[in-house]
Amino acid sequence: MKVNSRCARLWLPLLMLLSLVLAACGGGSSSSQGQTLHVLVGYNSTYSAQQKQWMQQITSEFQKATGATIAWDTFSSSSEEQTKLQTSVVSGSGPDVFSFGTTFVPTAQSTKGFTTLTDQDWKLVGGKDRFFKQQLTMAGSSPNQLIAVPFVMRPFAMVYNKELFQKAGITTPPTTWTQFVQDAQKMTDPSAGVHGAEIDPSDSFDPWKIWWMFAEQLGGSFISQDLKTAQMNSPEAVQAIKFWFDWATTYKIVDPNSMAWKAGDATQAFANSKVGMLIMVTPTLTPTLQKSAVAGKYAFAPMPTIPYGMQQRPAGGVPAATIVSGDMLAVADYSNVKDLAFKFINLVTDEQHQIQWTKTFGDLPVNVQAANSLASKDPQTAAFIQAEQGATPTPFTGVWGPLEVALAGVSSKLANEVATNRYDPSHIKPLLDQANQQIQGQLH
Amino acid sequence: MSIQPIPETVPAPTAVLRPKRGRSRAPSGRPMWLMWPSILLLVVIIGIPLLIAVYISFLHLDQYTLRSWLQAPWVGLSNYVTALTAGNVIGASALVSLGVSLGFSLLTTLLITPIGTLAALTVNTPYRGRTFVRVLYLVPYVIPTFVTALIWRMMFLNGTGLVDRSLAAIHVANINTYWLLGPNSFWAMVIADTWASWAFIYIMVLAGLQSISSDQYEAANMDGANSWQKLTRIVLPQLRHVLGLALLLSTLYHFNNFTLPFVMFGTPPPLQADVLPLNIYVSSFQLFNFGLGGAMSVITLILMLVPGFLYIRTLRLGEVTAS
Repeated sequence: MKVNSRCARLWLPLLMLLSLVLAACGGGSSSSQGQTLHVLVGYNSTYSAQQKQWMQQITSEFQKATGATIAWDTFSSSSEEQTKLQTSVVSGSGPDVFSFGTTFVPTAQSTKGFTTLTDQDWKLVGGKDRFFKQQLTMAGSSPNQLIAVPFVMRPFAMVYNKELFQKAGITTPPTTWTQFVQDAQKMTDPSAGVHGAEIDPSDSFDPWKIWWMFAEQLGGSFISQDLKTAQMNSPEAVQAIKFWFDWATTYKIVDPNSMAWKAGDATQAFANSKVGMLIMVTPTLTPTLQKSAVAGKYAFAPMPTIPYGMQQRPAGGVPAATIVSGDMLAVADYSNVKDLAFKFINLVTDEQHQIQWTKTFGDLPVNVQAANSLASKDPQTAAFIQAEQGATPTPFTGVWGPLEVALAGVSSKLANEVATNRYDPSHIKPLLDQANQQIQGQLH
Repeated sequence: MSIQPIPETVPAPTAVLRPKRGRSRAPSGRPMWLMWPSILLLVVIIGIPLLIAVYISFLHLDQYTLRSWLQAPWVGLSNYVTALTAGNVIGASALVSLGVSLGFSLLTTLLITPIGTLAALTVNTPYRGRTFVRVLYLVPYVIPTFVTALIWRMMFLNGTGLVDRSLAAIHVANINTYWLLGPNSFWAMVIADTWASWAFIYIMVLAGLQSISSDQYEAANMDGANSWQKLTRIVLPQLRHVLGLALLLSTLYHFNNFTLPFVMFGTPPPLQADVLPLNIYVSSFQLFNFGLGGAMSVITLILMLVPGFLYIRTLRLGEVTAS
């Protein structure tokens, strides 16, 4: 009896703990076994109702086709997305399908947590020919090491206010950055709170995209061709950043009080008819602008590709106007329902669903047939699709994610200096040196 | 007429009873073995992750080695050296962030203490509408931190925010004074956190005030004590312990406040608002430098043990339990 009592003392707590652990783990394990596909996508705050409807429709169609159900999960910020991805990779459990931006694919691949698609897998998702070739350049480190399937694309362009253009006597959008600055100066009227252009140095993403574009056009690159050397402190990179901050400090074409702005603040200013030209925007901006003071008074155009003060690009300069941009879908390596995952991707990237997505959410289709179909009916869509076909891919390296964050840090520090009247262009190089050194330390 | 301060009650020394060897049964006969599930859970939830964090702080753990983190290269103390000297690529070093965090937590605590104490005194004695005022005082405290941060972010926007507009209206500052960038960002963070958290001191002090017997006030009244004398001779001496505890908890809470600066400034934050928790987050989860983040976390833990130790001493946890 005494022995039984001792045993009970020892085993009871252990059993309690075990039952708690099993209860905690129960939710995750049963889902995969029960033929449920877990999908993680970004939350669309602009079209939340439509997104919910789309999820219901896809779930219903998927269930009809496969008998399996879909459990949706969403993330509302890149921070949340990264945390979920990191947790899933380490724990070996989580969503079966991840949706993430094209520039995050290299970092995702470096974690070795995603399935490399075989030829058979590509057949299951509709074949490589279904997708734009340019998009596939960001789907994996090499053509036979692709981990992601294109889902939607968002080429970048500039949007301009036609009314302000007309008032300033400008007939066509600028094709060089010199023209851009001149046009912006013509439109700037500080007394009316109107500025020809805008910057958002406190945004997490816009600064690096814009600097990357300027640097590429000047013949520079943030990472060497062989992906082994960080070149973020090159003269081209310094010149690119200086030119952007010159908009505020030298050319006076932007709101001098915009140092704390993020992308949304710049968009808002454009929507309020206070900005002549807004660069690095995507067609998904359209619904917001259509409900604003500039409804019907704006147009999109490609961004200039000739550096400031030049008539043509210097040797080695690339006519980079947009990165290969959009969202991709990748299947987690730990997933035990990969076939279902590929069927899901096949469903959402077929022609009909891609057209439906574009009409609902504004992103462009990655499905070639869907894109051609839409382009034949709408010249604006055709222009964006053409821009995407000429898009320049960012270097495919696992440090690209940290590099983006590092450049956001440089931008924040420089904005800090401008805001407190301590800005000096000579401070750019030391900041880039520091960022470059640390990114170099992460390059493999 | 003078009121003698009430002598501080000193707990009688208690004999420390040593547990008997073998059977895990307390002297009072309580079955201490029932604590084992809790202890095991604490080991699983706190102990093991803590050990993992310490282990990670000695590794070169990044996006390439994340999946098989146990095999990540061992780098000794280099993460600690980096944390204390260079920091992460976008922010300050751990030492600079530590300074920001310490300044932020101490200053906020210093500001909320008189506010909370005064607020508690205003609702200590009964009057018409006291319940309403008490509820009103709790509003800042019950609003979720991220909502508070968003509201203050909007208020601190340069040019358009309420703060700049108000200051410009009374000719104190330029309407385009930056609060979310530069040195002012630190003060913006302190102001927002002071607004959000003074009610914590208020709750603690009010609880302390309610525990003071009305007999003491009556006796003071009979001796002809005025309000100031009652406050300084009766109330404050008896609030010493509860106030001390509140200050410690408040400092710890503010030191670990992540949500407020994260939502107010986003990432990367201005250097002046780059508190240690935010720096650790950016290093680990945005720059994928988990080793560096781990080292910073361990440094934080060691530093937090100091007020933690004081906290335990203040509560006299061991002695109370033993008695």
